[in-house]
Amino acid sequence: MAYDDLRGFLEALEKEGQLLRVPDEVMPEPDIAAAANAAPRLGDHAPALYFDNVKGFTDARIALNVHGSWANHALALGLPKETGTKEQVEEFIRRWDTFPVAPEWREDPPWAENTLEGEDADIFRVLPLIRLNDGDGGFYIDKAAVVSKDPADPEHSGKQNVGIYRIEVKGKRRLAIQPVPMHDIAQHLHTAEERGEDLPVAITLGNEPVISIVASTPMEYDQNEYELAGALRGAAAPVTKAPLTGLPVPWGSEVVIEGVIEGRKREIEGPFGEFTGHYSGGRTMPVIRIDRISYRTNPVFEHLYLGMPWTEVDYLIAANTCVPLYKQLTRDFPEVRAVNAMYTHGLVVIVSTKKRYGGFAKAVGMRVLTTPHGLGYAATVIVVDEDVDPFNLPQVMWALSTKMNPDGDLVQVPGLPVLELAPQARTPGITDKLVIDATTPVSPDDRGNYGTQVRDLPEAAEWLTRLQKLAAAR
Amino acid sequence: MSDTTSLCPRCAHGTIEHIFSSPVPGVWEVLGCGRCLYMWRTSEPARRTRREAYPEEFMMTPEDIDAAPEVPAVPPLVTAAR
Repeated sequence: MAYDDLRGFLEALEKEGQLLRVPDEVMPEPDIAAAANAAPRLGDHAPALYFDNVKGFTDARIALNVHGSWANHALALGLPKETGTKEQVEEFIRRWDTFPVAPEWREDPPWAENTLEGEDADIFRVLPLIRLNDGDGGFYIDKAAVVSKDPADPEHSGKQNVGIYRIEVKGKRRLAIQPVPMHDIAQHLHTAEERGEDLPVAITLGNEPVISIVASTPMEYDQNEYELAGALRGAAAPVTKAPLTGLPVPWGSEVVIEGVIEGRKREIEGPFGEFTGHYSGGRTMPVIRIDRISYRTNPVFEHLYLGMPWTEVDYLIAANTCVPLYKQLTRDFPEVRAVNAMYTHGLVVIVSTKKRYGGFAKAVGMRVLTTPHGLGYAATVIVVDEDVDPFNLPQVMWALSTKMNPDGDLVQVPGLPVLELAPQARTPGITDKLVIDATTPVSPDDRGNYGTQVRDLPEAAEWLTRLQKLAAAR
Repeated sequence: MSDTTSLCPRCAHGTIEHIFSSPVPGVWEVLGCGRCLYMWRTSEPARRTRREAYPEEFMMTPEDIDAAPEVPAVPPLVTAAR
Protein backbone atom coordinates (compact mmCIF):
# COMPACT_ATOMS: atom_id res chain seq x y z
CA MET A 1 0.00 0.00 0.00
CA ALA A 2 1.60 3.26 -1.13
CA TYR A 3 0.36 6.59 0.22
CA ASP A 4 0.58 9.71 -1.90
CA ASP A 5 0.36 12.15 0.97
CA LEU A 6 0.45 12.46 4.73
CA ARG A 7 -3.33 12.74 4.99
CA GLY A 8 -3.82 9.35 3.38
CA PHE A 9 -1.43 7.81 5.87
CA LEU A 10 -3.07 9.51 8.86
CA GLU A 11 -6.41 8.05 7.75
CA ALA A 12 -4.84 4.59 7.50
CA LEU A 13 -3.31 4.96 10.97
CA GLU A 14 -6.69 5.93 12.37
CA LYS A 15 -8.38 2.88 10.83
CA GLU A 16 -5.68 0.68 12.37
CA GLY A 17 -6.15 2.25 15.80
CA GLN A 18 -2.72 3.87 15.49
CA LEU A 19 -3.72 7.53 15.63
CA LEU A 20 -4.83 9.18 18.84
CA ARG A 21 -6.74 12.46 18.60
CA VAL A 22 -6.44 14.77 21.58
CA PRO A 23 -9.75 16.68 21.63
CA ASP A 24 -9.11 18.80 24.74
CA GLU A 25 -7.67 22.27 24.46
CA VAL A 26 -3.91 22.13 25.05
CA MET A 27 -1.22 24.75 25.51
CA PRO A 28 1.19 24.98 22.56
CA GLU A 29 3.96 24.58 25.15
CA PRO A 30 4.72 22.51 27.04
CA ASP A 31 1.71 20.23 26.39
CA ILE A 32 2.27 19.12 22.79
CA ALA A 33 5.97 18.28 23.16
CA ALA A 34 5.34 16.61 26.52
CA ALA A 35 2.65 14.40 24.99
CA ALA A 36 4.95 13.45 22.11
CA ASN A 37 7.73 12.81 24.65
CA ALA A 38 5.40 10.43 26.50
CA ALA A 39 3.81 8.69 23.50
CA PRO A 40 6.59 6.19 22.68
CA ARG A 41 6.49 5.05 26.31
CA LEU A 42 3.20 3.37 25.41
CA GLY A 43 5.27 0.62 23.78
CA ASP A 44 5.75 -1.02 20.40
CA HIS A 45 2.21 -0.08 19.36
CA ALA A 46 2.39 3.58 20.41
CA PRO A 47 0.08 5.72 18.24
CA ALA A 48 0.61 8.94 16.31
CA LEU A 49 -0.88 12.00 18.02
CA TYR A 50 -3.16 14.61 16.46
CA PHE A 51 -3.94 18.01 17.99
CA ASP A 52 -6.42 20.52 16.59
CA ASN A 53 -7.45 22.45 19.67
CA VAL A 54 -4.41 24.51 20.60
CA LYS A 55 -4.77 27.61 22.76
CA GLY A 56 -4.38 30.88 20.89
CA PHE A 57 -4.61 29.27 17.43
CA THR A 58 -7.80 29.29 15.37
CA ASP A 59 -6.79 26.78 12.77
CA ALA A 60 -3.95 24.51 13.98
CA ARG A 61 -3.57 20.88 12.97
CA ILE A 62 -0.46 19.23 14.40
CA ALA A 63 0.52 15.57 13.94
CA LEU A 64 3.40 14.04 15.91
CA ASN A 65 4.87 10.61 16.54
CA VAL A 66 3.73 9.51 13.09
CA HIS A 67 6.70 7.09 12.83
CA GLY A 68 7.03 6.69 16.60
CA SER A 69 6.56 2.94 17.10
CA TRP A 70 7.37 -0.29 15.32
CA ALA A 71 3.66 -0.65 14.50
CA ASN A 72 3.55 2.73 12.75
CA HIS A 73 6.87 2.08 11.00
CA ALA A 74 5.42 -1.19 9.67
CA LEU A 75 2.27 0.55 8.43
CA ALA A 76 4.42 3.22 6.74
CA LEU A 77 5.97 0.40 4.71
CA GLY A 78 2.56 -1.16 4.05
CA LEU A 79 3.26 -4.12 6.37
CA PRO A 80 0.92 -5.54 9.03
CA LYS A 81 1.33 -3.55 12.23
CA GLU A 82 2.39 -6.66 14.17
CA THR A 83 5.49 -7.18 11.97
CA GLY A 84 8.56 -7.65 14.16
CA THR A 85 11.57 -5.34 14.10
CA LYS A 86 13.97 -7.79 12.46
CA GLU A 87 11.34 -8.78 9.91
CA GLN A 88 10.85 -5.10 9.00
CA VAL A 89 14.59 -4.73 8.44
CA GLU A 90 14.66 -7.90 6.31
CA GLU A 91 11.74 -6.67 4.19
CA PHE A 92 13.49 -3.29 3.79
CA ILE A 93 16.55 -5.15 2.48
CA ARG A 94 14.44 -7.14 -0.01
CA ARG A 95 12.74 -4.01 -1.32
CA TRP A 96 16.08 -2.20 -1.64
CA ASP A 97 16.99 -4.90 -4.17
CA THR A 98 14.52 -3.28 -6.59
CA PHE A 99 16.25 0.14 -6.26
CA PRO A 100 16.27 2.33 -8.35
CA VAL A 101 12.60 2.91 -9.24
CA ALA A 102 12.27 6.17 -11.20
CA PRO A 103 9.85 8.75 -9.75
CA GLU A 104 6.60 9.66 -11.46
CA TRP A 105 6.32 13.32 -12.52
CA ARG A 106 2.87 14.71 -11.77
CA GLU A 107 1.19 18.06 -12.35
CA ASP A 108 -1.09 20.13 -10.11
CA PRO A 109 0.25 19.38 -6.64
CA PRO A 110 -2.30 20.06 -3.91
CA TRP A 111 0.12 22.51 -2.24
CA ALA A 112 -0.17 24.83 -5.25
CA GLU A 113 -3.55 25.94 -3.83
CA ASN A 114 -2.06 28.75 -1.72
CA THR A 115 1.04 30.89 -2.12
CA LEU A 116 2.85 33.57 -0.11
CA GLU A 117 5.72 35.37 -1.81
CA GLY A 118 8.42 37.87 -0.96
CA GLU A 119 7.69 39.97 2.12
CA ASP A 120 4.42 38.06 2.62
CA ALA A 121 6.23 34.69 2.94
CA ASP A 122 5.85 34.65 6.74
CA ILE A 123 6.25 31.13 8.11
CA PHE A 124 4.22 31.96 11.23
CA ARG A 125 1.18 32.61 9.03
CA VAL A 126 1.29 29.05 7.69
CA LEU A 127 2.61 26.77 10.45
CA PRO A 128 1.44 26.48 14.06
CA LEU A 129 5.04 26.33 15.26
CA ILE A 130 5.66 24.92 18.73
CA ARG A 131 8.77 24.58 20.90
CA LEU A 132 10.09 21.21 22.05
CA ASN A 133 12.66 20.97 24.87
CA ASP A 134 13.38 23.48 27.64
CA GLY A 135 16.88 24.38 26.46
CA ASP A 136 16.02 24.77 22.78
CA GLY A 137 16.98 28.16 21.41
CA GLY A 138 13.70 28.62 19.61
CA PHE A 139 11.07 27.06 17.35
CA TYR A 140 12.42 24.16 15.31
CA ILE A 141 11.35 22.31 12.18
CA ASP A 142 12.91 18.86 12.43
CA LYS A 143 11.01 16.54 10.12
CA ALA A 144 11.09 18.42 6.82
CA ALA A 145 12.67 16.85 3.75
CA VAL A 146 15.07 19.46 2.36
CA VAL A 147 15.80 19.25 -1.37
CA SER A 148 18.96 20.65 -2.98
CA LYS A 149 21.21 20.02 -6.01
CA ASP A 150 24.95 19.76 -6.50
CA PRO A 151 25.85 23.19 -7.93
CA ALA A 152 28.76 21.59 -9.83
CA ASP A 153 26.52 18.99 -11.47
CA PRO A 154 22.91 20.21 -11.26
CA GLU A 155 21.58 17.91 -13.99
CA HIS A 156 22.76 14.73 -12.19
CA SER A 157 19.59 13.50 -10.49
CA GLY A 158 21.55 11.06 -8.32
CA LYS A 159 23.58 13.87 -6.80
CA GLN A 160 20.51 15.82 -5.82
CA ASN A 161 19.63 15.36 -2.20
CA VAL A 162 16.51 14.94 -0.07
CA GLY A 163 17.44 15.01 3.60
CA ILE A 164 16.10 15.86 7.03
CA TYR A 165 18.15 18.49 8.86
CA ARG A 166 17.44 20.49 11.95
CA ILE A 167 16.02 23.90 11.05
CA GLU A 168 15.57 26.74 13.54
CA VAL A 169 13.06 29.50 12.92
CA LYS A 170 14.92 32.81 13.33
CA GLY A 171 12.24 35.16 12.05
CA LYS A 172 9.27 35.40 9.74
CA ARG A 173 11.39 34.76 6.65
CA ARG A 174 14.64 33.61 8.24
CA LEU A 175 15.69 30.09 9.23
CA ALA A 176 18.92 28.39 10.30
CA ILE A 177 20.00 24.96 9.08
CA GLN A 178 22.51 22.42 10.35
CA PRO A 179 24.41 20.83 7.45
CA VAL A 180 26.51 18.24 9.31
CA PRO A 181 29.75 18.01 7.28
CA MET A 182 29.25 14.25 6.71
CA HIS A 183 25.84 14.80 5.11
CA ASP A 184 25.16 15.44 1.43
CA ILE A 185 23.70 18.93 1.71
CA ALA A 186 26.96 20.06 3.34
CA GLN A 187 28.78 19.04 0.15
CA HIS A 188 26.31 21.06 -1.92
CA LEU A 189 26.74 24.08 0.33
CA HIS A 190 30.54 23.71 0.30
CA THR A 191 30.57 23.87 -3.50
CA ALA A 192 28.20 26.84 -3.58
CA GLU A 193 30.22 28.72 -0.96
CA GLU A 194 33.53 28.05 -2.73
CA ARG A 195 31.96 29.80 -5.72
CA GLY A 196 30.54 32.61 -3.61
CA GLU A 197 26.96 31.55 -4.43
CA ASP A 198 23.77 30.95 -2.48
CA LEU A 199 22.36 27.40 -2.46
CA PRO A 200 18.68 27.14 -3.51
CA VAL A 201 16.63 24.82 -1.28
CA ALA A 202 13.07 23.54 -1.06
CA ILE A 203 11.91 22.58 2.42
CA THR A 204 9.01 20.16 2.18
CA LEU A 205 6.83 19.47 5.22
CA GLY A 206 4.12 16.95 5.94
CA ASN A 207 5.14 14.20 3.54
CA GLU A 208 3.88 10.69 2.94
CA PRO A 209 5.71 8.44 5.39
CA VAL A 210 8.21 6.80 3.02
CA ILE A 211 9.62 10.20 2.01
CA SER A 212 10.54 10.82 5.67
CA ILE A 213 12.18 7.38 5.81
CA VAL A 214 14.31 7.86 2.66
CA ALA A 215 15.16 11.44 3.62
CA SER A 216 16.73 10.10 6.82
CA THR A 217 18.42 7.09 5.19
CA PRO A 218 22.21 7.40 4.95
CA MET A 219 22.37 6.74 1.20
CA GLU A 220 25.49 7.14 -0.87
CA TYR A 221 26.19 10.57 -2.35
CA ASP A 222 25.05 9.76 -5.88
CA GLN A 223 22.00 7.69 -4.91
CA ASN A 224 18.60 9.31 -5.47
CA GLU A 225 16.22 9.28 -2.49
CA TYR A 226 13.08 9.34 -4.67
CA GLU A 227 14.32 6.22 -6.47
CA LEU A 228 14.63 4.47 -3.11
CA ALA A 229 11.16 5.71 -2.14
CA GLY A 230 9.81 4.01 -5.27
CA ALA A 231 11.51 0.75 -4.30
CA LEU A 232 10.20 0.87 -0.73
CA ARG A 233 6.68 1.90 -1.73
CA GLY A 234 6.46 -0.66 -4.51
CA ALA A 235 5.23 2.23 -6.69
CA ALA A 236 6.98 5.22 -8.23
CA ALA A 237 7.22 8.21 -5.89
CA PRO A 238 5.08 11.12 -7.19
CA VAL A 239 7.17 14.27 -7.58
CA THR A 240 6.79 17.65 -9.19
CA LYS A 241 8.84 20.79 -9.84
CA ALA A 242 8.86 23.46 -7.17
CA PRO A 243 7.62 26.70 -8.77
CA LEU A 244 10.42 29.07 -7.77
CA THR A 245 13.57 26.93 -7.63
CA GLY A 246 12.57 24.17 -10.07
CA LEU A 247 13.79 21.63 -7.50
CA PRO A 248 12.11 18.20 -7.58
CA VAL A 249 9.81 17.99 -4.56
CA PRO A 250 7.18 15.51 -3.33
CA TRP A 251 3.88 15.99 -5.09
CA GLY A 252 1.89 15.33 -1.93
CA SER A 253 3.57 17.64 0.62
CA GLU A 254 1.47 19.79 2.92
CA VAL A 255 3.83 22.78 2.70
CA VAL A 256 6.74 23.63 0.37
CA ILE A 257 9.05 26.46 1.47
CA GLU A 258 11.52 27.75 -1.13
CA GLY A 259 14.49 30.00 -0.68
CA VAL A 260 18.26 29.92 -0.46
CA ILE A 261 20.94 29.10 2.05
CA GLU A 262 22.79 32.41 1.99
CA GLY A 263 26.34 31.66 0.94
CA ARG A 264 29.26 32.36 3.30
CA LYS A 265 27.03 33.54 6.13
CA ARG A 266 26.93 32.12 9.68
CA GLU A 267 24.85 33.20 12.67
CA ILE A 268 24.33 31.96 16.23
CA GLU A 269 22.04 28.92 16.35
CA GLY A 270 20.73 26.57 19.04
CA PRO A 271 21.06 24.89 21.37
CA PHE A 272 18.71 22.09 20.40
CA GLY A 273 17.96 18.77 22.12
CA GLU A 274 19.43 16.38 19.55
CA PHE A 275 19.02 12.73 18.56
CA THR A 276 22.03 11.89 20.74
CA GLY A 277 19.87 12.63 23.79
CA HIS A 278 22.01 15.71 24.51
CA TYR A 279 21.72 19.38 23.64
CA SER A 280 24.08 20.73 21.05
CA GLY A 281 24.99 24.34 20.35
CA GLY A 282 25.21 27.22 20.32
CA ARG A 283 27.27 27.40 17.21
CA THR A 284 27.24 29.71 14.27
CA MET A 285 25.45 28.06 11.38
CA PRO A 286 24.10 28.85 7.92
CA VAL A 287 21.04 31.01 7.37
CA ILE A 288 18.11 30.43 5.00
CA ARG A 289 16.09 33.24 3.43
CA ILE A 290 12.49 32.26 2.64
CA ASP A 291 11.26 33.58 -0.72
CA ARG A 292 8.08 31.61 -1.29
CA ILE A 293 5.72 29.37 0.68
CA SER A 294 3.19 27.12 -1.06
CA TYR A 295 0.69 25.17 1.03
CA ARG A 296 -2.40 23.03 0.95
CA THR A 297 -5.60 24.53 2.26
CA ASN A 298 -5.84 23.65 5.97
CA PRO A 299 -2.28 22.27 6.14
CA VAL A 300 -1.33 19.63 8.67
CA PHE A 301 1.91 20.50 10.45
CA GLU A 302 3.85 17.29 11.03
CA HIS A 303 6.38 17.64 13.80
CA LEU A 304 8.79 15.33 15.63
CA TYR A 305 9.78 15.28 19.29
CA LEU A 306 13.22 13.99 20.15
CA GLY A 307 14.78 13.57 23.55
CA MET A 308 16.00 10.87 25.92
CA PRO A 309 15.91 7.77 23.65
CA TRP A 310 13.77 6.14 22.50
CA THR A 311 11.57 8.78 20.96
CA GLU A 312 10.10 9.07 17.47
CA VAL A 313 13.44 9.88 15.84
CA ASP A 314 14.88 6.56 17.03
CA TYR A 315 12.14 4.63 15.20
CA LEU A 316 12.54 6.82 12.10
CA ILE A 317 16.31 6.18 11.82
CA ALA A 318 16.43 2.55 12.94
CA ALA A 319 15.78 0.20 10.00
CA ASN A 320 16.97 2.74 7.44
CA THR A 321 20.39 2.95 9.12
CA CYS A 322 20.84 -0.84 9.25
CA VAL A 323 20.06 -1.50 5.60
CA PRO A 324 22.59 0.64 3.69
CA LEU A 325 25.35 -0.61 6.02
CA TYR A 326 24.25 -4.19 5.35
CA LYS A 327 24.22 -3.54 1.60
CA GLN A 328 27.66 -1.94 1.59
CA LEU A 329 29.26 -4.62 3.78
CA THR A 330 27.84 -7.59 1.90
CA ARG A 331 29.11 -6.18 -1.42
CA ASP A 332 32.61 -7.35 -0.52
CA PHE A 333 31.92 -9.61 2.45
CA PRO A 334 28.99 -11.91 1.62
CA GLU A 335 29.68 -13.69 4.91
CA VAL A 336 27.93 -10.82 6.75
CA ARG A 337 24.57 -12.09 8.00
CA ALA A 338 22.89 -9.08 9.59
CA VAL A 339 23.56 -5.52 10.76
CA ASN A 340 21.89 -3.79 13.69
CA ALA A 341 22.65 -0.06 13.59
CA MET A 342 19.43 0.99 15.34
CA TYR A 343 21.03 2.75 18.25
CA THR A 344 21.53 6.51 17.92
CA HIS A 345 21.72 6.36 14.11
CA GLY A 346 24.50 3.77 14.24
CA LEU A 347 26.87 5.32 16.78
CA VAL A 348 26.91 1.67 17.87
CA VAL A 349 26.81 -0.99 15.15
CA ILE A 350 26.42 -4.73 15.75
CA VAL A 351 27.36 -7.05 12.87
CA SER A 352 26.98 -10.83 12.68
CA THR A 353 29.26 -12.63 10.25
CA LYS A 354 30.76 -15.95 9.29
CA LYS A 355 34.55 -15.99 9.40
CA ARG A 356 36.75 -16.86 6.45
CA TYR A 357 39.80 -17.24 8.67
CA GLY A 358 41.32 -15.86 11.85
CA GLY A 359 41.14 -12.05 12.07
CA PHE A 360 38.30 -11.80 9.55
CA ALA A 361 35.73 -10.49 12.05
CA LYS A 362 38.05 -7.64 13.03
CA ALA A 363 38.51 -6.76 9.35
CA VAL A 364 34.72 -6.63 8.89
CA GLY A 365 34.53 -4.35 11.93
CA MET A 366 37.22 -2.09 10.48
CA ARG A 367 35.28 -1.92 7.23
CA VAL A 368 32.23 -0.61 9.08
CA LEU A 369 34.38 2.34 10.18
CA THR A 370 35.17 3.29 6.57
CA THR A 371 31.69 3.01 5.06
CA PRO A 372 30.30 6.44 4.14
CA HIS A 373 27.96 6.39 7.15
CA GLY A 374 30.59 4.83 9.42
CA LEU A 375 32.87 7.82 8.84
CA GLY A 376 30.54 10.00 10.86
CA TYR A 377 29.06 7.38 13.19
CA ALA A 378 30.10 3.83 14.26
CA ALA A 379 32.00 4.91 17.37
CA THR A 380 31.72 1.31 18.60
CA VAL A 381 31.37 -1.78 16.42
CA ILE A 382 30.54 -5.15 17.96
CA VAL A 383 31.11 -8.17 15.72
CA VAL A 384 29.37 -11.44 16.64
CA ASP A 385 29.20 -14.93 15.15
CA GLU A 386 26.78 -15.78 12.36
CA ASP A 387 24.51 -17.72 14.75
CA VAL A 388 24.08 -14.70 17.05
CA ASP A 389 21.15 -12.44 16.12
CA PRO A 390 22.38 -8.83 16.40
CA PHE A 391 18.78 -7.70 17.01
CA ASN A 392 18.58 -10.01 20.04
CA LEU A 393 20.50 -8.03 22.66
CA PRO A 394 20.55 -10.86 25.25
CA GLN A 395 22.34 -12.99 22.64
CA VAL A 396 24.76 -10.13 21.92
CA MET A 397 25.46 -9.85 25.65
CA TRP A 398 26.09 -13.61 25.76
CA ALA A 399 28.64 -13.21 22.96
CA LEU A 400 30.33 -10.37 24.85
CA SER A 401 30.24 -12.47 28.03
CA THR A 402 31.95 -15.50 26.57
CA LYS A 403 33.64 -14.69 23.26
CA MET A 404 35.49 -11.50 24.08
CA ASN A 405 38.92 -11.30 25.69
CA PRO A 406 40.27 -7.75 25.96
CA ASP A 407 43.66 -9.30 25.21
CA GLY A 408 43.34 -9.37 21.44
CA ASP A 409 39.66 -8.61 20.88
CA LEU A 410 39.65 -4.83 21.25
CA VAL A 411 40.86 -2.77 18.33
CA GLN A 412 41.04 0.91 19.24
CA VAL A 413 41.63 3.23 16.27
CA PRO A 414 42.71 6.73 17.28
CA GLY A 415 41.66 10.05 15.84
CA LEU A 416 38.87 9.11 13.44
CA PRO A 417 36.10 11.44 12.26
CA VAL A 418 32.72 11.45 13.97
CA LEU A 419 29.83 13.81 13.59
CA GLU A 420 30.35 16.93 15.62
CA LEU A 421 27.21 16.21 17.68
CA ALA A 422 28.68 13.00 19.19
CA PRO A 423 29.08 13.94 22.85
CA GLN A 424 31.89 11.48 23.58
CA ALA A 425 34.39 13.02 21.15
CA ARG A 426 37.65 14.32 22.60
CA THR A 427 37.33 17.42 20.49
CA PRO A 428 34.09 17.84 18.53
CA GLY A 429 34.36 15.83 15.34
CA ILE A 430 37.33 13.61 16.30
CA THR A 431 37.19 10.46 18.41
CA ASP A 432 38.86 7.11 18.92
CA LYS A 433 36.72 4.24 17.68
CA LEU A 434 36.48 0.71 18.95
CA VAL A 435 35.94 -2.63 17.26
CA ILE A 436 34.99 -5.39 19.68
CA ASP A 437 35.51 -8.85 18.27
CA ALA A 438 32.97 -11.01 20.11
CA THR A 439 33.20 -13.90 17.66
CA THR A 440 34.65 -17.34 18.33
CA PRO A 441 38.30 -17.31 17.16
CA VAL A 442 38.99 -19.51 14.13
CA SER A 443 42.28 -20.85 12.77
CA PRO A 444 44.96 -19.62 12.74
CA ASP A 445 43.69 -17.49 15.66
CA ASP A 446 43.72 -20.24 18.30
CA ARG A 447 43.00 -18.19 21.42
CA GLY A 448 40.54 -19.37 24.07
CA ASN A 449 39.17 -22.66 25.33
CA TYR A 450 35.95 -22.93 23.41
CA GLY A 451 35.50 -26.66 23.02
CA THR A 452 32.15 -27.23 21.36
CA GLN A 453 29.26 -24.77 21.60
CA VAL A 454 25.90 -26.02 22.86
CA ARG A 455 23.36 -25.85 20.05
CA ASP A 456 19.57 -25.94 20.18
CA LEU A 457 18.31 -29.53 20.14
CA PRO A 458 17.07 -30.47 16.65
CA GLU A 459 13.56 -31.01 18.10
CA ALA A 460 13.43 -27.64 19.91
CA ALA A 461 11.90 -25.67 17.01
CA GLU A 462 9.05 -28.16 16.74
CA TRP A 463 8.52 -27.97 20.48
CA LEU A 464 8.40 -24.19 20.37
CA THR A 465 5.47 -24.35 17.95
CA ARG A 466 3.78 -27.03 20.08
CA LEU A 467 4.17 -24.99 23.28
CA GLN A 468 2.90 -21.83 21.58
CA LYS A 469 -0.25 -23.72 20.51
CA LEU A 470 -0.74 -25.14 23.98
CA ALA A 471 -0.28 -21.72 25.56
CA ALA A 472 -2.71 -20.10 23.09
CA ALA A 473 -5.36 -22.75 23.83
CA ARG A 474 -5.33 -22.15 27.59
CA MET B 1 12.92 44.01 42.58
CA SER B 2 13.61 45.00 39.00
CA ASP B 3 11.21 44.15 36.22
CA THR B 4 12.72 41.30 34.21
CA THR B 5 9.84 40.73 31.81
CA SER B 6 11.45 42.98 29.20
CA LEU B 7 14.79 41.13 29.30
CA CYS B 8 15.80 38.17 27.20
CA PRO B 9 15.39 35.18 29.53
CA ARG B 10 18.55 33.62 28.13
CA CYS B 11 21.10 36.45 27.75
CA ALA B 12 19.44 39.37 29.61
CA HIS B 13 19.60 41.60 26.54
CA GLY B 14 17.15 44.48 26.66
CA THR B 15 16.13 44.65 22.99
CA ILE B 16 13.27 42.25 22.39
CA GLU B 17 11.62 41.96 19.00
CA HIS B 18 7.94 41.19 18.58
CA ILE B 19 7.61 38.39 16.01
CA PHE B 20 3.99 37.18 15.95
CA SER B 21 0.69 37.51 17.83
CA SER B 22 -1.73 34.69 18.57
CA PRO B 23 -4.46 34.38 15.93
CA VAL B 24 -6.94 34.54 18.85
CA PRO B 25 -6.16 38.09 19.97
CA GLY B 26 -4.43 38.63 23.29
CA VAL B 27 -3.61 35.02 24.21
CA TRP B 28 0.17 35.04 23.59
CA GLU B 29 2.98 36.70 21.69
CA VAL B 30 6.08 35.25 20.08
CA LEU B 31 9.15 37.29 21.05
CA GLY B 32 12.76 37.14 19.90
CA CYS B 33 16.02 38.43 21.36
CA GLY B 34 18.01 40.76 19.12
CA ARG B 35 21.35 39.50 20.45
CA CYS B 36 21.32 35.74 21.19
CA LEU B 37 18.34 35.15 18.86
CA TYR B 38 16.44 33.18 21.54
CA MET B 39 12.78 32.96 20.56
CA TRP B 40 9.89 32.06 22.82
CA ARG B 41 6.14 32.32 23.34
CA THR B 42 4.92 34.40 26.27
CA SER B 43 2.50 31.65 27.38
CA GLU B 44 5.35 29.18 28.07
CA PRO B 45 6.30 28.25 31.64
CA ALA B 46 8.44 30.70 33.61
CA ARG B 47 11.48 28.43 33.21
CA ARG B 48 11.48 29.35 29.54
CA THR B 49 10.24 32.94 29.64
CA ARG B 50 11.50 34.70 32.81
CA ARG B 51 15.10 35.70 33.32
CA GLU B 52 14.95 34.94 37.06
CA ALA B 53 13.54 31.43 36.47
CA TYR B 54 15.68 30.56 33.44
CA PRO B 55 17.95 27.53 34.11
CA GLU B 56 21.60 28.48 34.45
CA GLU B 57 22.81 25.67 32.18
CA PHE B 58 20.92 27.18 29.25
CA MET B 59 21.98 30.80 29.76
CA MET B 60 24.11 32.41 27.06
CA THR B 61 26.53 35.34 27.33
CA PRO B 62 27.96 37.65 24.65
CA GLU B 63 31.27 35.81 25.21
CA ASP B 64 29.55 32.48 24.45
CA ILE B 65 28.21 33.94 21.20
CA ASP B 66 31.63 35.31 20.19
CA ALA B 67 33.28 31.95 20.96
CA ALA B 68 30.65 29.80 19.20
CA PRO B 69 32.28 27.45 16.68
CA GLU B 70 31.39 27.76 13.00
CA VAL B 71 29.55 24.71 11.63
CA PRO B 72 30.32 23.97 8.88
CA ALA B 73 33.40 26.11 8.32
CA VAL B 74 33.11 28.56 5.42
CA PRO B 75 35.51 27.29 2.71
CA PRO B 76 38.00 29.55 0.91
CA LEU B 77 36.66 31.12 -2.28
CA VAL B 78 37.78 29.30 -5.38
CA THR B 79 38.32 31.64 -8.31
CA ALA B 80 38.32 30.33 -11.86
CA ALA B 81 41.77 29.88 -13.45
CA ARG B 82 42.72 32.86 -15.55
